[in-house]
Amino acid sequence: MVEFDRSAFIGKFQEEAQELLQRLNEGVITLEGDPENRELIDQMMRDAHTIKGSSRMVGLIEISDVAHWLEDIMVKVRDGDMKYTPQMSDYFFEALDAIVYLADNKGVNEGDVLDLDGLKSKLAALADGGTDAAKAAEAETAEAAANAAAEPAPKKRSRKKVAEPVQELDDELPDDDDDDAHEAVETERVTQDAAPKSRSSAGKNLSPDELKTKVQATIRIKTAQVDSLLNLISEVVIGQIKAEQRANEMRVIQSGATESWQAWARIRSMLAALGESGAVDGLAEDVNLLDGSLANSQRALSEFVKVYSEDVSRTSLVVTDLQEQGMRLRMLPANTIFQTFPRAVRDLAKQFKKEIDFQIEGGETELDKKVLEEINDPLVHIMRNCVDHGVEDPETRKKLGKPAVGHVKLEARQEGDRIIIEITDDGAGIDPDKVRESAVRKGYLTEAEASAMSDREAKYLIFEAGFSTAAIITEISGRGVGMDVVREFVVEKLKGSLDVESEVGKGTTFKLTIPLTLAIIRALMIRVGEKVFAMPTGSIDETLRVDPAEIIKVEGREVIRRQRRTIPLVRLSEILGVPVAPAEGMKQPIVTISYSGHRMGFMVDGFVGEQQIVIKPLGSHLKKIDNVAGVTILGAGEVVPILNIPDLMTNARTRSGHRAGPTHRDESEGPRSVLICEDSFTTRELERSIFEAAGYQVETAVDGAQGYAKLHEGLKVDAVVTDVQMPNMTGFELTKAIKSDPSLMSIPVIIVTSLERDEEKAEGIEAGADAYITKSVFNQDTLLETVERLIR
Amino acid sequence: MANTEIHRAGSLAETAEEILNRRAESLARETIEEEAAHRLALLLFRIAEEWYCVRVSDVREIFQEYDITTVPGVPDYILGVVNVRGEILSITDPATLMHIGAISLDGVEQPPAIVIVNGEVATAIVVDEIGDIAEIPDDSVEPPISIIDRAQAAFISGSVHVGDNMVGLINIERMLEPVITGGRH
Repeated sequence: MVEFDRSAFIGKFQEEAQELLQRLNEGVITLEGDPENRELIDQMMRDAHTIKGSSRMVGLIEISDVAHWLEDIMVKVRDGDMKYTPQMSDYFFEALDAIVYLADNKGVNEGDVLDLDGLKSKLAALADGGTDAAKAAEAETAEAAANAAAEPAPKKRSRKKVAEPVQELDDELPDDDDDDAHEAVETERVTQDAAPKSRSSAGKNLSPDELKTKVQATIRIKTAQVDSLLNLISEVVIGQIKAEQRANEMRVIQSGATESWQAWARIRSMLAALGESGAVDGLAEDVNLLDGSLANSQRALSEFVKVYSEDVSRTSLVVTDLQEQGMRLRMLPANTIFQTFPRAVRDLAKQFKKEIDFQIEGGETELDKKVLEEINDPLVHIMRNCVDHGVEDPETRKKLGKPAVGHVKLEARQEGDRIIIEITDDGAGIDPDKVRESAVRKGYLTEAEASAMSDREAKYLIFEAGFSTAAIITEISGRGVGMDVVREFVVEKLKGSLDVESEVGKGTTFKLTIPLTLAIIRALMIRVGEKVFAMPTGSIDETLRVDPAEIIKVEGREVIRRQRRTIPLVRLSEILGVPVAPAEGMKQPIVTISYSGHRMGFMVDGFVGEQQIVIKPLGSHLKKIDNVAGVTILGAGEVVPILNIPDLMTNARTRSGHRAGPTHRDESEGPRSVLICEDSFTTRELERSIFEAAGYQVETAVDGAQGYAKLHEGLKVDAVVTDVQMPNMTGFELTKAIKSDPSLMSIPVIIVTSLERDEEKAEGIEAGADAYITKSVFNQDTLLETVERLIR
Repeated sequence: MANTEIHRAGSLAETAEEILNRRAESLARETIEEEAAHRLALLLFRIAEEWYCVRVSDVREIFQEYDITTVPGVPDYILGVVNVRGEILSITDPATLMHIGAISLDGVEQPPAIVIVNGEVATAIVVDEIGDIAEIPDDSVEPPISIIDRAQAAFISGSVHVGDNMVGLINIERMLEPVITGGRH
């Protein structure tokens, strides 16, 4: 997938924002003289809204926040909850200036030039308390009020703390020493809580001692440097293995020399016997000389072999340590990403009106930095799923006799050379019957297939591409995509595996098994023809040696029966285009693989063995080679290609005549097309570039009315992507119009908007939208995946 | 008073001399730099009966002994990959790529390999023989001769005279275009 660069769109945003800001500035002035100008108020609200949306799309969150506060106030003025007064203008100008500054500086508030918190509290107070400027001014001085608005609970606590510990100090100071540490902590907390303003500066004013230890404890190194170091280390390892081989060869040479020495000893004694008869008189001196030198060589050789073997085995220990320590350079504790989850779960719980107690265990478990980066998204995804689909709302839980508060646990631990991450909830569990039902309804399975499926297999259907039991796609637990993405992430990128255990009514456990580092995985070495390939064991179900008689032909395809299931077979040599070796032995070696809900058997020519391998990329020249994920260098230095399981499965399914699932689209239908209805220039162009990069034909419309007109005139598109707030015809109105027109109703409609409230989502659902993506979670993958899923 | 005057005069003379020296030095340096800027070092190599060259600045190393591992699914001009001190490098056969035959790997000796680099991308090209390094004035690079084959033309960015021979200068950007195979991604 082509990555797009948000920063490229900042320029476009600046252009657009300049115009809008100018209009808003003029608007404020006009409004001062004409505070009841309804049309102008509407206009200003829309402009603020557009700035909010566009800035968020290009990642300028601070601007989006300021625009959001402005919009809030304008909504109140429009709805008559508040009257516009000239005093408000000052705050408006300040806010607009802040946006101008941020837009000019690409959103960076360098050196805190702007007092954004102060601005926020002023605007918040304005929105809360109407036109009472005195109140707003008060808020300005008492920043605590802003803190209170954001987090009411901690404030109370902090006040108590300020009062109590001081007393404690008075009481306990003369007491025993045990409380010293406790006091110190409390004192620190007192100062921090009493002066929240100085918190940031306190962070900077570290005492010299603290500063020193920090400087000494860590250094920052480019990961590329660590990687090239690891490259060299693995070469040292290979060199070491070679040295060990040499030592062994040396021992063979030594035993050969010993044999020669023994043969010589026999000859010598025979010569000595001959010497008595006087036949070899002239040779005696040479014989003695040779005898002496052979004895010396023999001694020297055995001494050398002994010392060399010792050296090699000593180095071997060091090299093993070196490799281990080297790998650890890339390791970070899981907490590096885990620490953001409590907040995320709390927010999600609030949004879905669930009560959740979230626990983390094993946050100190160390993982490869790359693994940590890759694992974050799947984990967020699973946790959203737990909160949305897993844990029931408090009332339901009470009815079921469960505690109102649901439990979600995130746990990491190391088991040998792999890391296990488990996410457990005590929610509703996955009902295999519901999954079956849904699969049949969506045409993934026939009734017969579904009923032949075991409960366990049925549960795994949730990992099927595009499979979701939710009625409408929201960005939560879905973001428009199913659990299949999690599976692909874990299996394809991390070369791990994903399991689910679930009991209806009791809860669900997702278990991610991932390699300790991305650089080292377990692999099965197989032989195809004359060549050896490595296959990551993560997705291998089993290895079999079957009697050729067990391979049956069904509709011209070779299959085997395993545990009441039919597994299609393909020859790996055919997929790889590698010449086959003449068959040896009677049994056919087969590797069965499950990937994304499909099972396949690959016929190979032999199993070589299972071992740990170091993954190396094919390099920047061979950027992406079909079926090959990389290479590994074996102990003796030989290079072995590593097979890419997802590629193999795709190619195998095409070859064995399967459709690649109901999700596949026939290429002959031509490029997919999409209509984008969006009044913001920045957002429109950004969405256009995303779709064009993905090979879509893109049509655009500046509002709902124009979009609808285009469709009515006969424009054929595979999907419509629309904003909500647009002049002339809103996105909701457009959706309703499309969904009530028999000739258009089959076109999927995807709403992309900054409206995030539940009622607004409900309105979108009511209008008949197929998906609802909010700009705050917007990214190109979400958008593309959602659209792709819907147009299948 | 007078002392200071003399001192000032002395320092003035010194300064003048210093300035002149510096100017002389910089003039001398300029000519050296100018000369360097006008020379182009080229590494010559032979494919079949034809001589070609690459800029020495685009060459990272040359190696002779290697074990090629074939990789399935690559285009025919990629002979495989090799392990160069822990780094994996692709082996490109420029003859196959330019449709002028193929470099034979069956000989007694392995064909020498030249590692060419363009930014992050590197490959080792195998050739029949490595020749000298030639230095030529950089303005003597001429457009490629027009009689060469269309398939070959894309890989030749110019031609230069080395001695009596006309030598094609390899277009390394084209030769190092990343290889992507397979339907997905």
